[in-house]
Amino acid sequence: MSFDVRLQANKLAGFYAVTMKNFFLSLKTTVWTLLGLICVFFLGSYLMPAYKDVHAGMNDRLLFQWVEQNALDHPWATSWFFASLAGLVLLAINTVVCSVQAIKGKWSREDFLLRIAPQVVHIGFLCILLAHLLGAGWGYRISGMLPVEAYAKLPDNRSLYLNDLRPLVDDRGNLRDWSAVIAIYEDDRRVATGILGPNEPLFYKGMGVYLKSFDLRERPVAFLMVNKDPGALWALGGSVLFMIGTMIILILKWKKA
Amino acid sequence: MPFSSRAMELILFILYPLALVRVRLIIPALALHGALIVSSAVTYGRIPLIGTHDTLGFLAWSIGVVYLLFGWERKRDAFSYWTIPLVLLLLAGSAVSPVMRGPLPPVLRTIWFELHVILSFISYALFAVGAVFGALYLRDGDRENETAQYRNLLLGYALFSIAMIFGGIWAHLAWGTYWLWTPKELWTTIVWFFYSLYLHARLVKGWTGRPVAWMGIVGFFIVMFTYVGVGLLMKSSHEF
Repeated sequence: MSFDVRLQANKLAGFYAVTMKNFFLSLKTTVWTLLGLICVFFLGSYLMPAYKDVHAGMNDRLLFQWVEQNALDHPWATSWFFASLAGLVLLAINTVVCSVQAIKGKWSREDFLLRIAPQVVHIGFLCILLAHLLGAGWGYRISGMLPVEAYAKLPDNRSLYLNDLRPLVDDRGNLRDWSAVIAIYEDDRRVATGILGPNEPLFYKGMGVYLKSFDLRERPVAFLMVNKDPGALWALGGSVLFMIGTMIILILKWKKA
Repeated sequence: MPFSSRAMELILFILYPLALVRVRLIIPALALHGALIVSSAVTYGRIPLIGTHDTLGFLAWSIGVVYLLFGWERKRDAFSYWTIPLVLLLLAGSAVSPVMRGPLPPVLRTIWFELHVILSFISYALFAVGAVFGALYLRDGDRENETAQYRNLLLGYALFSIAMIFGGIWAHLAWGTYWLWTPKELWTTIVWFFYSLYLHARLVKGWTGRPVAWMGIVGFFIVMFTYVGVGLLMKSSHEF
């Protein structure tokens, strides 16, 4: 390659780098990406009920499994989903580039909070996106019926034992509440016991056990879900950051306005 | 609902229009309406935000409170003429909707659900009053109305974001996931994206002024569709 050609190639690469940087730095990119995402989610809210069968498994298993087993076979019905993924990736890059640029440069005590608060919100938002990514591809979600005094095998050499199922009925005979007594075993050792109920799961080493429903007609049976979501803590941390940043912005901008 | 409560609700249709005379005259209506909400909570032993009757009524009351706070210093003007009919419209919707009696279903008996719903409706009220300020700005071009719209929407956005986060915590405890792929969740995210868009667009040259004022108005229609339309037209995790 001659010197001139190399020079031209370097110039072109530099031009593209600057163009890309300006594109991702621009607030207009944020605005148009958000507008695009709104349109795509709108389309999704129409296509989801229109193609119920295709979307039925979205919440029952890991999202990547659904993509592999269902979404790729129905490109039109799930086009909104892939478009939203593209939009979110664009928004994430846009957020990172803008935040890095905002953090660079001289800082002064006067505008410290006003400059840092939006970046805290951005980091929170990115953590929530990361949580979704981790939850979509890793961990597990298993559900099924388990009779009282029976075991269920779980991943990581664990098992679940349903000890008892307790419905709570009021004076009129209406079902008011319910609970299930369970135990978790790891390597054949009992490592946790607890009582499950509505909004009361049992957590053990990042794994949650949920009582979804039950059936007492014949032999008492609980419908349980076991879920391990490696993104959950990221989502919580991101949410806390998002709330802190938003409240600081609110206070500062309110005064300024 | 007992007969006396129904009669009290009808009295609200007389009390709220008093605000058309003077903003502060909304206080008796808010006091009575607030007492009815508390009384309903005590009667049924639960947060009175289940079903269309409760939620429309609470939204009307919340709009009334926001109207009072932001209109405290205002004289009688279009701000009242546009907000009070909206309150009455929501109140009428509440009055014709069936009342949900009895205690909460077990899955809803958690502080996270209560905070999620209360903050959601307060943010809806802020979005509503923000839309009114946007319309006033479009009519008069008064920068103060644009600033008032911004304040309403910024506060509404913050509370709405927190409501979504609390909803996520509740969903994680109830269903093992902080996010469900349903049309209702998609529309809730549309609302959140839309107001994020508003806050960012306000900083972009060419979008400030009238375009963002319009956005604040359109946003409220999206909110109302998310609240009423999605519930009527689409299946979601928000049906109890």
